[in-house]
Amino acid sequence: MSTSVDPTPRFAYELPFSPAEASPSAPVAPDAAAPWREALLIGNVLWFLRLRWAAIAALAAFGLAGLAFPGLLQALGLRPQADWPFFAAALLLVANLGFLGHARLIVRNPLRRGAAWNLWAQIVVDLLILTMVVHFLGSLETPTPFLYLAHVVLACIFFSRRQSLVVAAIASGLYAICVGMERLHIIQTPGIYLDPLLRQAMTSHPAFPWLTLLSALGIYFVVWFLASHLSELVRGQELKLAEASRRLTLAQQEKTRHMLRTTHELKAPFAAIAANAQLLLKGHCGALPEQAAEVVSRIAARCRRLAVEIQEMLQLANLQSAEEQPTPVRLDLAETVRWAIARVGAAAQERRVTVEQTLEPASVVAIEDHVKMLLTNVIANAVVYSTEGGSVRVRCGEAPSDGPVITVEDGGIGIPMDKLPRIFDDYYRTEEAVRHNRDSTGLGLAIVRRVAVSHGIRVRVESAPGRGTLVTLRFPAAGRGESERKEGGHVLSADRR
Amino acid sequence: MSYLLIVDDDEDFATAVATMLRGKGHDVRIELDLSAAVRSMTERRPDLLLLDVMFPEDSTGGFELARTMRWRNETLKDVPILMLTAVNTRFPLGFSSKDIDDDWMPVTDFLEKPVDLDVLTERVQTMLAARQRRRG
Repeated sequence: MSTSVDPTPRFAYELPFSPAEASPSAPVAPDAAAPWREALLIGNVLWFLRLRWAAIAALAAFGLAGLAFPGLLQALGLRPQADWPFFAAALLLVANLGFLGHARLIVRNPLRRGAAWNLWAQIVVDLLILTMVVHFLGSLETPTPFLYLAHVVLACIFFSRRQSLVVAAIASGLYAICVGMERLHIIQTPGIYLDPLLRQAMTSHPAFPWLTLLSALGIYFVVWFLASHLSELVRGQELKLAEASRRLTLAQQEKTRHMLRTTHELKAPFAAIAANAQLLLKGHCGALPEQAAEVVSRIAARCRRLAVEIQEMLQLANLQSAEEQPTPVRLDLAETVRWAIARVGAAAQERRVTVEQTLEPASVVAIEDHVKMLLTNVIANAVVYSTEGGSVRVRCGEAPSDGPVITVEDGGIGIPMDKLPRIFDDYYRTEEAVRHNRDSTGLGLAIVRRVAVSHGIRVRVESAPGRGTLVTLRFPAAGRGESERKEGGHVLSADRR
Repeated sequence: MSYLLIVDDDEDFATAVATMLRGKGHDVRIELDLSAAVRSMTERRPDLLLLDVMFPEDSTGGFELARTMRWRNETLKDVPILMLTAVNTRFPLGFSSKDIDDDWMPVTDFLEKPVDLDVLTERVQTMLAARQRRRG
């Protein structure tokens, strides 16, 4: 889509927003800790799976190096290995595929609560295969037994202290069995080093292998003690934060509920005032003296403004409320823009502002009501803050690299640079905007901000006083919005009142 | 002339609407609570019902009355209902025409308070005309 930008330089502003704000009032279960832990465990499962692909690749590469470059290994003093690296890599590959399949089931349905079992299975299989690797490389003369520490530390991160102690015990037991079986000549291997003296040195005294084993086990448990202690401290802090976050969310939800109820209670008597003012103005109670008619006209006009303000307060409160939000659907933005332009038609006619539109189909997945609110507010702003007889240009289409883009450009009053960062704040209105339009509520762009944040829409504003404003809305391509919302990697920028 | 029933707990609002509609030549009755509305409709079937949603004893009482009329009352099931509401409790962002379906809101049309009395009068006339056409 092509957009024409006024050649006169305008100030541009983009305000990054906090990812936490993307779902300001996401529902939190009364017991927040359990789902929080499960979500964390699922994240750990996926991360651990990715890490294992690297281990599989390393084993396969080691096996290939033995086959393809035996001379190189020998030059390094290492013995080219036979088939076991491939065997170990294949075992890990099959296991990882199994874990991955199970992990996908858990991700689809987190209520299955299988993440901990998945992690346990991964750790146990890893430790078994690691014991095989330790044996073939050299259980005493190489540093490979310290690879067990990686799993001990990971278990401290994933599990409780007691559970991670079990992992440390399994690792110790497997290593002890490996060394014991080698000492009893039940299993034999020449090890990785070409020079047999290294292995012989480790076994030159009958006590050496056992001292090495005991030293390693001691290190495992010291590392377990430190890592599990630190992990528990960190986890405790995280739980406190999660609890604080839950309380804040509940308080926010309660505040929103209260606001919705209060606004409704205000709206009902106000509807009666508005209806009665209309009765007087329409002459249903007889003709009014000129001055009285003027007073009642002011009451009616104020009622209309208050109606808009109440409506916007309700919309804003509802955007913050997580309860019963409508479902996102696939939308053609061009259609939605047409709808929004029609909504502001009366205001445009009143101000003799022409709305030029160049609309091409652009598909997004979004909550229709919310996008309509956003577009209506942006286009209404362009119309309201245009000079009389001016024009507003609205364009919509798919940009090759950016996805769906809407631009709304006017030649109106513009916004001073220093005020751009504040225009999305609740109830903020620039003096220039108030002078131009006394009916402004200061809530329109707050609504725009909330919708943009929740949908991952990037909003950019370029403006200069007296030179108009260009608003660019970049929507996530259909299907990308959800992931972008989760990552929180979007940017909101400023607009104008 | 048609017989219209306004059911709304806000007497000031209901009276203003009734004055406007009486000015258009209709016979208008006001009921301030739901049980009185049911009694009134049993005594005399209205040609059109203007119904509020929230009542002091039941925040969704208007919906319940509409459902009862549509699905459990042979005499009243065809009475056109114009729902007047200060806030939409089902869809927080406000009604739209497509939201009106028999699954959740069995009413003929709705208007959100505060209403423009001209719009309300026009809507009432349209609904009455449609009813007249259906009856042949």
